[in-house]
Amino acid sequence: MALKMWALRKSLWVYHVNTGACNNCDIEVLELLTPRYDIERFGMMLVGSPRHADVLAVTGVCTRQAMPRLQEVYMQTAKPCVVLAVGACACGQGIFTEAYHMGPTVDEAIKAVDPNAIIMYVPGCSPKPEAMIDATVKAMELLKTL
Amino acid sequence: MSEVAVTTTQADVPLTGFVGQVLERLGDSVLEVQKCVQLRGIARIEPARTVEVAEKMLAMPGCRLATATGIEVRDGIDVLYHWIIERSAAGEAAVADQPAGVVITLKVLAARPELALDSIANAVPAANWIEREMHDLLGANFRNHPDMRRLILDDSWPEGVHPLRKDFDQVADRPPLPPNQSPPDVESTNCTKENNKGQVRGTLPTGGRDKK
Repeated sequence: MALKMWALRKSLWVYHVNTGACNNCDIEVLELLTPRYDIERFGMMLVGSPRHADVLAVTGVCTRQAMPRLQEVYMQTAKPCVVLAVGACACGQGIFTEAYHMGPTVDEAIKAVDPNAIIMYVPGCSPKPEAMIDATVKAMELLKTL
Repeated sequence: MSEVAVTTTQADVPLTGFVGQVLERLGDSVLEVQKCVQLRGIARIEPARTVEVAEKMLAMPGCRLATATGIEVRDGIDVLYHWIIERSAAGEAAVADQPAGVVITLKVLAARPELALDSIANAVPAANWIEREMHDLLGANFRNHPDMRRLILDDSWPEGVHPLRKDFDQVADRPPLPPNQSPPDVESTNCTKENNKGQVRGTLPTGGRDKK
């Protein structure tokens, strides 16, 4: 376990899930990869499959249509898996809370399939890349305690 | 009988300029002209002749269907087809004094209680998806639509519930949420700590915001 956790902290791979975002948060997530913020210096990278992911970066409100898909994606990831709820919509439901197409909040949807899920909240509309880097560093610290 | 109606109502808004010429070309299928200025025309057309009017509009040079919108009104559902007439690719106007960027809105009423009107999707393929969307959200019934499947509401949404109707409460009338995915086995969850091993897992109640 110790070797596995050491390796995990060394290279958190991130899968980006858009559950109904306005794309502002998605642009900020992509900003993390640019040379200015360069999140790959922490060993992180965006991957194309949830099966390769250690972190799910969830942007946007969880709509009714996205809810089962989000749960499925979460279940496909290797555990332990950190869920980053990026932005005001993913943390709560933002301005869309009273709309007809709302599912549960992102954390409720994840906790319905895994009550022990590790969920980190990055508030902001949209959060600055620094805030997301801060959250991922805190996630690394948290993984040390597992 | 519509002849009389046309002359009286058209007299209220004089048909002027390029927009007036376009509306005049639609003839007596226009029931009422509500606006006719340099770049904007709004007219109500006879519901029985929707397809014929759409074909006429599409045949005009530089004319395309931008989008359509729907709104629930007292007598039914108003479907508004927004047509844009642009100068042709060669830069030549169809008419000598044609301005650029004309938008003409043609209103069709789908009257209660059937809320039905003729689909123009066979004549104007661009109207296909937007009519499906209006069917989902407002419950307008388009006759002879080639492919009236659900487009925009989620898979678990019940039939016959239309969220953009006036009597639909966005919070209280929400249908129940889709079921959760079944939770995976214990091994594949975040149980790396010893004290989590024995935890009872189950499905948490979701949809705390459901009022029903």
